[in-house]
This record gives sequence, C-alpha cells and structure tokens, in this order.
Amino acid sequence: MAGVVKAPAPGAFAITPHKVSLCILVHTYASPSQISVPFPFSSVSQHNRLGLYLLALTKSCDDILEPKLDQLINQLREIGGLLDDWLTDHVTSRLSSLSAPDDLFNFFNELRETLGGPDSGVMDDDQVILDPNSNLGMFLRRCILAFNLLTFEGICHLLTNIGIYCKEAISSSSYEHRLDDSGNDLESLSEYENMDLNLVFKKINEEMEARKKATEQVSFHLHLPKDLSTLVEDVEVFADPKPEHNEKGGESSSYASGDLLRDVDPDGGVFLRTNWQIQGYLMEQADAIEKHGSSFTFNAFELTLRQLQKLAPEFHRVHFLRYLNNLYHDEYFSALENLHRYFDYSAGTEGFDFVPPAGSNDFGRFEIALLCLGMMQFHFGHPKRALEVLTEAVLVSQQQCNDTCLAYTLAAICNLLSEIGFSTTSGILGSPFSPMTNVGTSLSVQQQLFVLLNGSLKKAESLKLKQLIAANNLAMAKFGLTHVQRPLLSFGPKISMKLRTCPIVVCKELRSGYHLISDFCCEGSTMTTDGAFSTAWLKNLQKPMGSLVMSQDNGSGNNSNPFLFFTQPSSIPGSVLQLVGSSYLHRATAWEMYGSAPLARVNALVYATCFADASSSSDAVVVHVKLIQHLAAFKGYKEAFAALKIAEEKFLCASKSRILILKLQLLHERALHRGHLKLAQQVCDELGVLASSVTSVDLELKTEASLRHARTLLAAKQFSQAAAVAHSLFCMCYKFNLQVENATVLLLLAEIHMKSGNAVVGLPYALASLSYCQSFNLDLLKASATLTLAELWLSLGSNHSKTALTLLHGAFPMILGHGGLELCARAYITEAKCYLSDPSFSVSDNPELVLDPLRQAADELQALEYHELMAEAFYLMAIVYGKLGQLQQREEAASSFKNHIVALDHPHDADDPFLS
Amino acid sequence: MSEGCSKKGASFIVLISTSIQFNTQIYFSKMSSKESCRNELRTAIRQLSDRCLYSASKWAAEQLVGIEQDPAKFTPSNTRFQRGSSSIRRRFRTNEITSTPPTGFAYVSTPVMEEDEAIHGDFYLLAKSYLDCREYRRAAHVLRDQTGKKSVFLRCYALYLAGEKRKEEEMIELEGPLGKSDAVNRELVSLERELSTLSKNNMIDPFGLYLYGLVLKEKGNEILARKVLVESVNSYPWNWSAWSELQSLCTTVDILNSLNLSTHWMKEFFLASVYQELRMHNESLSKYENLQGMFTFSNYIQAQIGKVRYSLREFDQVEVIFEDLLRNDPYRIEDMDTYSNVLYTKEYFSALSYLAHRVIMTDKYRPESCCIIGNYYSLKGLHERSVMYFRRALKLNKKYLSAWTLMGHEYVEMKNTPAAVDAYRRAVDINPRDYRAWYGLGQAYEMIGMPHYALHYFQKSVFFQPIDSRLWIAMAQCYESEQLHMLEEAIKCYKRAANCNDTEAIALHRLAELHRELGHPEEAAFYYKKDLERMEAEEREGPNTVEALTFLATHYKTQKRFEEAEVYCTQLLDYTGPERETAKTLLRGMRIAQSGFPSMDVEHFHP
Repeated sequence: MAGVVKAPAPGAFAITPHKVSLCILVHTYASPSQISVPFPFSSVSQHNRLGLYLLALTKSCDDILEPKLDQLINQLREIGGLLDDWLTDHVTSRLSSLSAPDDLFNFFNELRETLGGPDSGVMDDDQVILDPNSNLGMFLRRCILAFNLLTFEGICHLLTNIGIYCKEAISSSSYEHRLDDSGNDLESLSEYENMDLNLVFKKINEEMEARKKATEQVSFHLHLPKDLSTLVEDVEVFADPKPEHNEKGGESSSYASGDLLRDVDPDGGVFLRTNWQIQGYLMEQADAIEKHGSSFTFNAFELTLRQLQKLAPEFHRVHFLRYLNNLYHDEYFSALENLHRYFDYSAGTEGFDFVPPAGSNDFGRFEIALLCLGMMQFHFGHPKRALEVLTEAVLVSQQQCNDTCLAYTLAAICNLLSEIGFSTTSGILGSPFSPMTNVGTSLSVQQQLFVLLNGSLKKAESLKLKQLIAANNLAMAKFGLTHVQRPLLSFGPKISMKLRTCPIVVCKELRSGYHLISDFCCEGSTMTTDGAFSTAWLKNLQKPMGSLVMSQDNGSGNNSNPFLFFTQPSSIPGSVLQLVGSSYLHRATAWEMYGSAPLARVNALVYATCFADASSSSDAVVVHVKLIQHLAAFKGYKEAFAALKIAEEKFLCASKSRILILKLQLLHERALHRGHLKLAQQVCDELGVLASSVTSVDLELKTEASLRHARTLLAAKQFSQAAAVAHSLFCMCYKFNLQVENATVLLLLAEIHMKSGNAVVGLPYALASLSYCQSFNLDLLKASATLTLAELWLSLGSNHSKTALTLLHGAFPMILGHGGLELCARAYITEAKCYLSDPSFSVSDNPELVLDPLRQAADELQALEYHELMAEAFYLMAIVYGKLGQLQQREEAASSFKNHIVALDHPHDADDPFLS
Repeated sequence: MSEGCSKKGASFIVLISTSIQFNTQIYFSKMSSKESCRNELRTAIRQLSDRCLYSASKWAAEQLVGIEQDPAKFTPSNTRFQRGSSSIRRRFRTNEITSTPPTGFAYVSTPVMEEDEAIHGDFYLLAKSYLDCREYRRAAHVLRDQTGKKSVFLRCYALYLAGEKRKEEEMIELEGPLGKSDAVNRELVSLERELSTLSKNNMIDPFGLYLYGLVLKEKGNEILARKVLVESVNSYPWNWSAWSELQSLCTTVDILNSLNLSTHWMKEFFLASVYQELRMHNESLSKYENLQGMFTFSNYIQAQIGKVRYSLREFDQVEVIFEDLLRNDPYRIEDMDTYSNVLYTKEYFSALSYLAHRVIMTDKYRPESCCIIGNYYSLKGLHERSVMYFRRALKLNKKYLSAWTLMGHEYVEMKNTPAAVDAYRRAVDINPRDYRAWYGLGQAYEMIGMPHYALHYFQKSVFFQPIDSRLWIAMAQCYESEQLHMLEEAIKCYKRAANCNDTEAIALHRLAELHRELGHPEEAAFYYKKDLERMEAEEREGPNTVEALTFLATHYKTQKRFEEAEVYCTQLLDYTGPERETAKTLLRGMRIAQSGFPSMDVEHFHP
C-alpha cells in the first residue's frame, strides 16, 4: 500500500500448501539413503521421471494459480505409473499428518537434511543428495527460507490452508456429485457469485453460442444480388471466432470458467504462483494475444486478469495485459484507460525488457508510455494523433537521454510513415520539434522517411539492439523495394543521380536478419521459453509417451512438441523467430515484385512451413494470400478456390478482411474471364466498399479497387470511362508516390487505348510503363509491358509485325519462366498472330510454328476459363487448319470457338462452391 | 464570487433542486413538532443502544441535543451549551426559517417493539455485556439457542463483528508481497444464508434487515443490498447507520431517484448527504439549511454545511463555521481535516499548528489527525515529513481519498513525478470522479514535458467538473505549450474558462493575446475590452491594463475609428513608461490624419 511500490519485493515467494506438497515429493525424490535408487522407486528411469516432473512443476507457468491437490494427484497418476498409489498416499498422508504448528517445524527441519552441504562434491557416488545449487535444491532452499521468515500467525495460516487444500481434494473428487445433490449448497454458491461475475458468465456463454453459430452458417453472401446492407451483416459473421481452430483460447476459457466456481469460494485457499511464474504466464498470453488477434477469447482472459488483480493488486503488469487484450479486440476506450493506468502505476519501469536498469535516474520512463500510446493510436487508425504522440515521445526520450526508447520511437514513426500514405507531413514533422531538426522541411515524405530510417538504424546499431536492427533492416528493404534512394541534399556539382531501385541493397538488408538467429542461439534461454516448455510438457502428460514423437497435433493448434523437452529446447524467443520469418515474407514480396514467381513461392512456402508457429495471425494470412494468388495464376481457379476454402476455415476470424479481399479478387478475375460482367461489377463494388473503410484509409486497397473498376469497364467496352478512372487513379498514385502502381496503371491505360483501337495513343503509355518498370526493376511487369507493346505494334498494321515479334521474343524467357497462365497464353496468341499477319510467312510451309503456340495457349487458358482468349485461339486455329485444308480439325476448332463465344455471351453460374 | 459560479454551472439541475425545495417546504409545514421529534429520538436511542448499534445511537443523540430547547423548559446548563453557536449563527443566518406551526403528529409513529423473551432476557443482558466488552464470539455463543428477533439480531451482529475483527487482523498478517490481502469476513456466508431465510419467512425486524443489507453489500450484491436497506429504513427510519450504508450505495442520481423511500424527516438528512456525495452542492446546502431550522444546534449539520461550503470554495465562511464548531465541541476530530485544508489555503500557520496539536492530544491514531499534521508540514514546506504523515493516514484508512491526493501534491512539490502519479492514480481508482486527482495527474505529466499525454487527464478532470475555470485554464495552457502549439483548441478552452467565472482573470487576457497572435484583431479587441471592463470593475491595474489600452488604441486607429482610439490613448497617458510615449505619438498621428483627412478626400474626388 505504500505510495510507490515499484518492483515487486524480492521476497515474493510465499510458502503455500502446494509448495509444501512439492517439498514432500522432492523429499521422496531425494531421500537421504545409501542406495542409488531410493526406496519406492523400482528403476532409475522412474526416478528420473519424477525428477523431471518436479522440475517442470517448479517452472511451468500455464496459469496464475497453483494447481490444487487433486490436479497434482491426477498428474502424479500419469507420471508415477506403478508408483502412483504409493506417491499419492504418501503426499496425502504426509499432508494430513501436519496437524499442529510443531509438525511443520519438524517437517522443514527434515527437509534440510536432504540438501547437501556446500562441499557436496566430495560425496559418495551412490548417495542421493540434492545439490543446493540445482534447480530443485534452490527451490527447497527458498521454501525453507520462506518458512523461516513466517511469523507464528503465518504458520497458523499455512496450517489452516493445508487443511483446506486437503479437504478440497477429497470433496472435489466427488465434485459433480456435490453439484448435483445439494441444492442448498449450489444456491449459496451461486448467490455468492456477485452480479457482475454472473454477467461475465453469461457473456462467455453468448460468445460460445455465437461461435457455434458462426461455424454452422458460414456462407458467402454473393449467391443473390443483395444490397450492401446485407453485405455488412455478412462480413460481421466473420468476426466471430471459431473454437476448433483456436485451441488455446478454448482451453483458457474452459478452465477459467471451471476454476472460477471454486476459486472465489471464500473458504478455498487461493494461491498465486510465484511472481516469476506469473510473469512468464502473462508474457505467454501476450504472445498469444498478438498471435491470435481477435480470435483470442476476450472475456475469459479478462476474467483471469480480474482475478489476478484482485489477488495481487500491486502486480501492475495486469493492466498492460488488459490493454493488449482490449487493443486486439478493438475496444478503444478501455484500451486507452488501461494503458494510462499501467503507466501511471509502473512509471514504465516494470516489465519492459529493453529498459536499461533504472537507478541512474529515478524519474520514471514515461517516454515508453508515449511510445505505446502512439502505437495504439496508430493501431486504431488515428495516424495523425499517433504522429503527434510519437513526436512527443522523441522529445521526451531525448530529454531523458533514453536512446533505446528513441530508437524504438523512430522505428515506430518510420513504420507509421511507410504504412500510411501521407501526401505531406509538413506541419507535423516540419515543426521545430521534429525528430530530426537538421532536416529541412522541403523534403518529401519519402525522403523524410529515408532519413528517419537511417537515423533509427544507426541508433539501433550503436545501442546493439539486435531485434530493432533487424526490424530496421526489414523496413529499409521494404523502402528500397519501392523507392529510389535519391541523395538528399546535393551541393555543388551534381552527383550522378541513380534513378533506379537497388535490388542488391534490398537483398543485403534482408540477409542481415540472419545474424539475429545465430546471436540468439548463443545467448541462452530466457525465462518464458523455459517456463513454456515446462508448461507444454505438463499439459501433454495425459498422452501416452510412445506416440509423442509422432503427434503433430493435427497441425492446427500449437504443436510446440512436448518431446522437445527432452531434447535441447530451442532457445530462440518467439519475437526473433517472427522477425526472421517476416524477412522471408519480405523476400517473397520482393521476388514477386522483381518478377520471379518460383522464388516468391519458395519463400512464401518456407515461411508457411517453418515460421507458422511463431508468426502472428496477420502475417500468416498474408502468406496464405500470396500462395493462393500464386495458385490462381499458375494452376487456375479451381485449385485456388479449394485452397481459399481451407484458408478461410483456418483464419475465420483472424484477419477476415485480408481473406475476404482475396476472395473478392479471385471472384472478380474469374468473372472477367468468364465474361460474367454483372458479377464482376458487383464484386468490384464490394471491394470499393471495403476500400472506403471508416477506420482508416488503406491506399493499397483503394488503388486495387479502382484498378479493378477500370478493368471491369474495359471488359464492358466502355473505353472512355475506363480511361477516365485509370487516369484519376494514376494521378492519385503519383501523388502518393506509389511507383509500382504507377507502372501498372500506365500499362492498363495502354491496354485500354489498344482495345479501343487507338494504338497510337496507347504507345506512349506502354513506353512510359516500360521505363517505370526498368527503373524499379519490375522485371515481370516489364515483360508484360513489352508484350502489350508488341500487341500495340501489331495492331498498327501488318508491316510492324516483325518489330512486334522481335519485342515478343525478347520478353519470352521472362514470360515463360515466371509469368502466369494468362500472360503465357497471351504471349503465345500474340506470337501466332504476328506470324499470321506477316506477309512473308506462309502457313503451309511451317504450320507447327503457329499451331503449337495456339494449342499451348488453349491448354493454359482452359484452367482459367478465359472464354474470350480461348475463342480467339480457336478461331486462329480454325483459320490455320482451313488454310492447310484439314477440314476435320477445322470443324473441331470452329465448334470449340462457337462454344466459347456462346459461353461468353451467356454466362451462367457453373458449379461454384462460393456462389451457392 | 465562486458561489455564483457554481450556481450558474449547476443550472442543469435547477429543475431537480426546485422540486426538492418544494417538497421540503411541504414537508416542513407538516412536520411533527419538535417535541414529538425529540420523543422519537429518545426512544430510538434507547433501542439502538440496546442493540449495540453505537454509532447510530451516537448520531441520534447528537441530533436530539441539536434540537432547539423549548425556551420555557431550558435549564441554565442547556443555555451554556448552546449559546456560542447561536451567536455565530445569527451572523451568518440568511434564510431564517419561520417556526412551523405544530401540527402535532409524527409521520411514522415509533413502532412499539415487542419486549420478547422475558425469560431469556437474562441471557440477552449477559450477551450485551459481553458485546460491550468486545467479546463478540462469547456474546454470540450465549445467544445460540435464543429465537426472539432481538436476540437473533444481536447474535448475528456479534458474529459479524467478530468476523470483521478477525478480518482486520488477518489483513495485517496476510499482507502479501504484491499487496494481496484476500482477507474476508468469514462469517458472511453463513450470516447471509441465515438472514436470507429469515427474511424469506418474514421473521426479520428492521435491524436484522440493516445487518442483512450490510452483509449483502460486503458480498458485492449491491442491488439486493439497496432493496433490503430501503426496506429497513422505511420501517425504522432512525437508524442512521442504515441510511449511510444506503448512501454509499447511491453512486448516481439515477439510482437515487429509483429508490422508493417513504417520507420522514430522517430522509432529509439522507438526501442532504447523498447530494453532498454526488457533488450537487447547492441542493445539499439548501437541505442542510432547512434541517437547521429544526436541529438548530446540531454539530453534525454544522460540520456538513462547512464541508459543502468548502466544496463551493467559500473559505471564509467555512473557517467561521469550524471555529464555532470547535468552540462547542473541542474534542471533535471528525471533519476537522476539512478545516485544516481551509487553514492551509489561507496559510494560517499558527492556527493550523494549534489544531494539529489539539487533535493529536485527543486521538493520535485517527486518519484525520494524521492528515491535519501532514497539512501542517506541507505548509511549512517540509514535504518529506508531510508525506510520512499522509502515509500514516493511509495506513489507517486505505481508501482515504483526500490523503492520496494530498500526498500526490506533496510528491509534486518534491519533484518526484512517478510517486506523485502513483498516488494520484490510486485516488482516481478509488473514486473515478475525483477531478482533483485527474487534474494532479495532468499537472504531473505536464511538468515532465509531456503535454500531449497530460491532455488526456485534463480532459478527464474537465469532464467530471466542467464548471471549474482552473481546470479549463490548465488544459488551455497545455494546448498552448510550445510542443503542441494548438492555439485554436487553446482558445476554445479559454472561452470555457471565461464562461466559468475565472476568478484569477487569466482567461480573458490570454484570449485577447492569442487572438492578436493569430491575427484576429476584431476578436482580440473584443476580449481586451472585456478584460479592461473587468479590471475596472475589480479596480485592478497592472501591465495587462497598459497592454490592453495600447492594443485597443492602435487597433481603433488602424480602423480609422479615431474617437474610440483617442479615448484609449488619453487613458494611456495616465501611465508612466514607454507606452505613454506611444500614446502621444498615436494621438499626434491621429490629429494629423484627421486634419489631413478632408484634403485627402478632396484629392480623391479629383482624379
């Protein structure tokens, strides 16, 4: 209650009944005898197994509360094998024999004998004596010390608590029975639960029900042309978590509600685990919240936290966890409230790993509060607010000379700037209090971002914050991917301006992340991983040991393999793994952009297989999206939709929007290919709705939506409108410096003009797009631009077919090596058209030169159901066959042509799992 | 001044308050005569102390003595007891309530308690003696087989007290390293079970209901507790303890309005105290003043009035009230912390030390005493010591709100921001409506250069107390700070402050200056003028006056409104300093312009 209780007192190790029974077990395990395998044990392995179990018990951190006696007995049953009866009896009889304070004194005196002296090295080999510096030895010593510190009243309390602890075990063995028969008892119990707890129960029930509903009726909402209001409703269905794929959350909720009935019972002793174990538990939960996002059960965890707060009011970390929980469930106000509360109580000096040991100054670390507040505002979509707060954070950390925080803040600002499309930051960063006062205000946002990134990286390097360095490297890579690194200020003679992005730099930045892992491997384990392994091991006690190696937990839940406990546990913290993983993700994106589809796919696959456990749900979604897109482009829609279905089940609630967008994209593309323009327009509108989201503006999505809009218009042959949309899109992209999008939009414009029959107007657009692609190293896009250019030349007249063919052949390696089905088919058809329109080319001389590409094209388009292009291919084929005089083949090709034309004109809903 | 301010601010509850006043009037006109009231209280005191409800009977006895004695009957000792207060009261009494015509019947006649268990009465006597000696379990044991309502109540009450005592002890014994104190009253479960069956079978008297309500409240079942307490209070209104339990459960006006309370003069006391707690100060004050008509010499009412007036920042009157109170009741400790706050604000060193001395001689281990000493040391600038005493106060009562806040202030003085923040935060978590603590939090963060972060707290504090100009000004200064520089928002805040009757007159001046800086001369002139008017009204002068005059003179000159400009210039001439010279030049310039004016006009007409 003292005014400032900052760090928990070191003596936060209270002796509890559970620890007493552990002591009994340790005593049994290491009873001072002369034989190598002490009395009750029949084999060394049995003996070792108990030892391992005890070790795990002292370390595990799966809950805030210590296990009850019956839980302990159950676990002993698993572990003890033949010995189980003996062990259980021993523990219970020993506990119940403690009936007077003096018994406790004697018991702890006895314990002391199991500990060896300081010179325990010179012991008889056969004798079992606990090394006082071993884990169990330390535990025992702490228990003895804690007991010795107890006052007489404390000992009395311990005694009564042991009584309750034993009584509970006896009564709870007939727990269900008790609930059934004694109506009176139940009534008093439920009356005792105060109102708001009941409310929470109700909420949990509701949540469960909602989830059930969600699993039952997940239907896509496109089966009928509905208006947008229903769309919104349907989207909300996705927000509900699904229990099967959320093992962790489900578990926590079940035990939380189960425990509660007993734990709040005033007669029952409620004992917290040690401080250290709770910290571990909370850290684990924090990871879980981040990993599972909104699928993490809100109420159950909130209940646990509330209980913890009641039991340990000075344990301020709880408020931070509450903040996190609220943050990931989009509860703005309570998140804000809890954030402030946490920092008010802790002054930022509790629980942050990167805080240098305080003592140098005693004025708190409130800059961290600002940093967190800024990130929170960003998360909730208030970038401007966030920037203000972060600017203040920079200032305060400079004043307090907290370079670490400064580095992190700068990184956060960089993240903010790169994520949010500010057209200008003047007035925020340009103020005299801007983080980098030496930077003039005339710079563009990108330039400022570059300066900040460099500054942050340097800070992180000088402070040796490995994770931050890696994160900064990634940010740098991301920046380098899409931006030209112009020299900032050029004085004197002009430095030669390199107007290209630099893939080598990107690669270098991405690679530097690896050093992180090797560094962490040598650095030894941290407490959470340690505790987490113990926890996992204890949880899996029920499973037969033989199958442990095989068990992979059917892939969905956490498969932190229990057998790892026996081998050397990997000591890499989850956050590091996450960083390394996201470097793979970046790599995949980079390759995607630079145009190597196979490499992109490989990297995405590496991420999905190796880092799935460590990744946050949003990253995992991104990878799935990438892989599915890849499937759609290379294997056709059928497979893509099958994969999408799996992904949808997996991430039902996590990042609904990401998956939803992907689904819309795929649907749109297929509708376009099939010529189902109405549907295409509808899907496009839905995308537009998502893009105009209320929370924050996602530029990427916005460009995507209007790009697709233009495409739809193009397919509907409304050229002028399509051109107008594309034009305004280009303006926007130019304003926000979205270079890759610029190239794409220019290419689209070229296509629009080509299709509208204005090839001459289209040419400059295609050339401009080409030059963009060149300077940003977008090889695949460049190939596709070249293809368009060839098409343009071709449509200028047959005398240009040679030029077109040369262009096309130049781009062929890239297209065939990395392009998707559509691109390849288009290239083949164009090639055939080039030959056919070439006056010097005669079909009868070399029919295969034309027929082969056409057949290839037809094959590839089959998977895409791209009726328009297929029709074209068959039409050309029919002509060629006609010229060759092969009438039967000609008829076949012609009938195929007719089929596709009919299909194009009368689009019908084929068998479609997503539309029905 | 500040009274007017609060009245204006509280206009939104005017409707409620008038209706209350109306009821009160009706009520008092029908109120039972003083004599019957006295008789009710006398019986009640006997019944309450028979059941060992000491503090309720103490309270009732205080009110009994507080009723003005019949002049025909009073004895010389009575007059001595009451003289001092009446002399003071005459000075401050504004609305003397005309003596009500005795209509002569009590609203709720005192129920005749059945004197049961004539045989077992002996056991009851034994049990009561045990209870008087604080041997609770023994008392309960004696009554184990008794079934009369009175015995049952006493047994349950004794058990409850035994549980409470054990709880207090365990709280010290079990104090965990993380502040864990899960000590609970272990009797609650069984008591609740027994009392709920009794109440279901209608075998419970109002005292039993009070105890039942108490138990329910401790267990967190507030809704039922409220219902039970209302029932208890409706059937036996003289138990002040029941009323105050009920009061602690009325946290909002809505809850209060939902209570179904039957009319009785005790209800007036209750309402006054609830209003006070809900910070509806004016309503509370009028209730108390009405009650004073009946209980003219009640120290309790006097102290409560003092507290309400303190919340209204009427320090002079509070001082007089408490001085008077101390004269009549020199060994009083309750509510004296408010008095010490007043002495602190007025910086009366010796008076505060005298009070501290007196209080510590009376009872050292009362949270109020510690708080008074803390205040004294704080006034002396010995902040460490002050913190020590506030800590002691908090050790005695963990939920002592003002001690947390005051300790926060001390830490701010000691420049120990984290500790200050911690203390304020605890206050806020005890009572989230405590705007002073929110304000303190904001100040602390502003102090360490985090104005943006501080804004959150100022917003909170302003939300809970929108009529305090100081809060608005603090927020405005935050917006004005170099880092934020959000002047538009600052102007909005200053406007609110100016509307809230800003006693220190900061807002108007700053408004004018800000508008001038932002290049809004019209608005600036408006506020300068207002500021000037105000300074004239309060007969203050200073650099602000000169600044305002200079600006106005220049402004009107550029506007070519020479007459007004001249007025301000001539006013400026009364001051010494460079402004005087400026005024002279301005005047000269204007004369020239005026004389040149026609010629310019002529020129203008001849292109």
